[in-house]
Amino acid sequence: MKKRKMFLRMITASLMRRRSRMLVAFLAIAIGATILSGLMTIYFDVPRQMGAQFRNYGANMIFTPTGEDFTNEDLESGLSHIKSSDLVGAAPYRYETVRIHEQPIMAAGTSMEDVKKTSPYWLVEGEWPAAAGEVMVGQGVAESLQLKQGDTVAIRYTEETEEGAEEEAADNEIDYKVTAVLSTGGSEEDYVYMNMEDLEELTGLAGSIDLAEVSISSGADQLNSYMEQINSEVPSVDARLVKRVTASETTVLSKLQALVLLVTVIVLALTMICVATTMTAVVAERRKEIGLRKAIGASDKSIVTEFMGEGMMLGGLGGIVGVFLGFAFAQTISKHVFSSSIIFRPGLVPLTIAASILVTGIACLSPIRSATKVDPALVLKGE
Amino acid sequence: MSLLELKHIYKIYGELHALDDVNLKVEKGEWVSIMGPSGSGKSTMMNIIGCMDKPSKGEVLLDGVDIARESGKNLTTIRRDKIGLIFQQFHLVNYLNALENVMLAQYYHSIPDEKEALEALDRVGLADRAKHLPSQLSGGEQQRVCVARALINHPEIILADEPTGNLDDANEETVVDLFHKLHDEGTTLIVVTHDPEVAEVAQRTVVLRNGKIHKETVNTNFTGKIRFRD
Ligand SMILES: Nc1ncnc2c1ncn2[C@@H]1O[C@H](COP(=O)(O)OP(=O)(O)O)[C@@H](O)[C@H]1O
Ligand SMILES: [Mg+2]
Repeated sequence: MKKRKMFLRMITASLMRRRSRMLVAFLAIAIGATILSGLMTIYFDVPRQMGAQFRNYGANMIFTPTGEDFTNEDLESGLSHIKSSDLVGAAPYRYETVRIHEQPIMAAGTSMEDVKKTSPYWLVEGEWPAAAGEVMVGQGVAESLQLKQGDTVAIRYTEETEEGAEEEAADNEIDYKVTAVLSTGGSEEDYVYMNMEDLEELTGLAGSIDLAEVSISSGADQLNSYMEQINSEVPSVDARLVKRVTASETTVLSKLQALVLLVTVIVLALTMICVATTMTAVVAERRKEIGLRKAIGASDKSIVTEFMGEGMMLGGLGGIVGVFLGFAFAQTISKHVFSSSIIFRPGLVPLTIAASILVTGIACLSPIRSATKVDPALVLKGE
Repeated sequence: MSLLELKHIYKIYGELHALDDVNLKVEKGEWVSIMGPSGSGKSTMMNIIGCMDKPSKGEVLLDGVDIARESGKNLTTIRRDKIGLIFQQFHLVNYLNALENVMLAQYYHSIPDEKEALEALDRVGLADRAKHLPSQLSGGEQQRVCVARALINHPEIILADEPTGNLDDANEETVVDLFHKLHDEGTTLIVVTHDPEVAEVAQRTVVLRNGKIHKETVNTNFTGKIRFRD
């Protein structure tokens, strides 16, 4: 039999046949790992969730066309009724169906600088498209087409023609560079965003927009009077109000994340203290056994390896249990707080297990040092 | 050269001389009993011979090496390679079964070998108890596991500190019988005992009193067999 096999047999025997003794340490680690994995899941998911919560924060008024054509001029005349000090931003949108790898995708042309003002809650990973030929893809598009920041993507536009039409239908394909991936927690994740000029170049259609999002900083009464004024005086614009949250989303977000991190660190510290206490008790209880092992030939190194092995195995087991309980825990919280389900992050599995093993290992250091100090002679004198 | 030689050994705890100028030679293959009242220094002497403790003064030559001068790490190695220990309280690791307890000594010594460990258990008549935990074994059986563990690495010396102190007559006889077999195979045995019947089966009896050797007797009609109820 290999030494390693005997080693594993020993430490599993020690853990399994002394389960009731190790239960407290195991529970501490499992609970610690549960909270770690749960909070980390939430930590990484919070920006997405919060985006959905704060989606109305930016724009609080939407302009849609009343008739066929709706141009930048109509938008401007609508905006002219709003005091410039009250106007935070207004972003025009034009939507066209395009194809990427033969899949129909909705492309939105807009003005990125204005979107930054009207949709501050957008979580943009990468650089906002600035130069011509740059696009930003929604998280959903990125996932289904396996696109990431830096990729080049060919976008194709085919004009829909009526049957028997005389003129040739426009059919155009252009390569774009993906500069960013967009997460919002909402339907924006299924769009490709590009600057208006790029969309016009691709489609050959210019001038008209589908809607505009407007962000106005004023009270509810003022907002209502703006809306009524625009609706009565600009016939081509239909202005509607949308609710928005007034708190600053970014500060709330970063505070929440900081809080989650803090709680995680505290929980890990508590776990470490609990494991250290249990292991100290375990070592004290096993003084006789340690002395015996030394008497029959164990070196200090073997004693360290054995106890570390037990600790790490315990840490690993606790970590494995914790990963899954933690996800369930995060899911429950997410359902209650954000009323949406959370994304399972496989990357957290090794992270949680490694963290549990590390925390347990550190917690075992001092108890193990005292284990090596046990004197075989004293123990065998029948203490 | 003797296998073991104690030269002017002292072990001093404050005022107390647990061992006080002890001189003793043990030849290879010899079977020596150590007797003496409680507190006379028997265990202290065994701990020193067993490389678990160092004398305050004096030389302990084991195979010509002065173990009183060795570092703790070397003592561990010497103990592992040359010495087999048997104690009164049948020290076994309580969460390992009989077989695993024997294999533990192999594990620290060299490489665990299940077959060899089973043979050792068979020698002490416990092959069918291999998978039992110590709590499932009687006192006598536990002590026999300790004997199997002590002999598994073929030590030069087996040190037994009151090995039969907690055993009934039948188990005492079994254990002494095992000593007899080990002696026949050439193993050196040093056995601490309170029991004159166990002491007198050895070739020589050393009596300690107040840390000094009080008396040494040679058993002229040495048989290695214990005589009960006759
Ligand atoms: N670590 C120690 N500290 C102080 N005194 C000790 C220590 N170990 C043993 N002694 C003392 O040394 C004497 C001899 O003890 P020991 O060798 O255990 O006797 P025995 O085994 O013959 O009964 C006793 O008086 C005991 O109290
Ligand atoms: Mg004693």
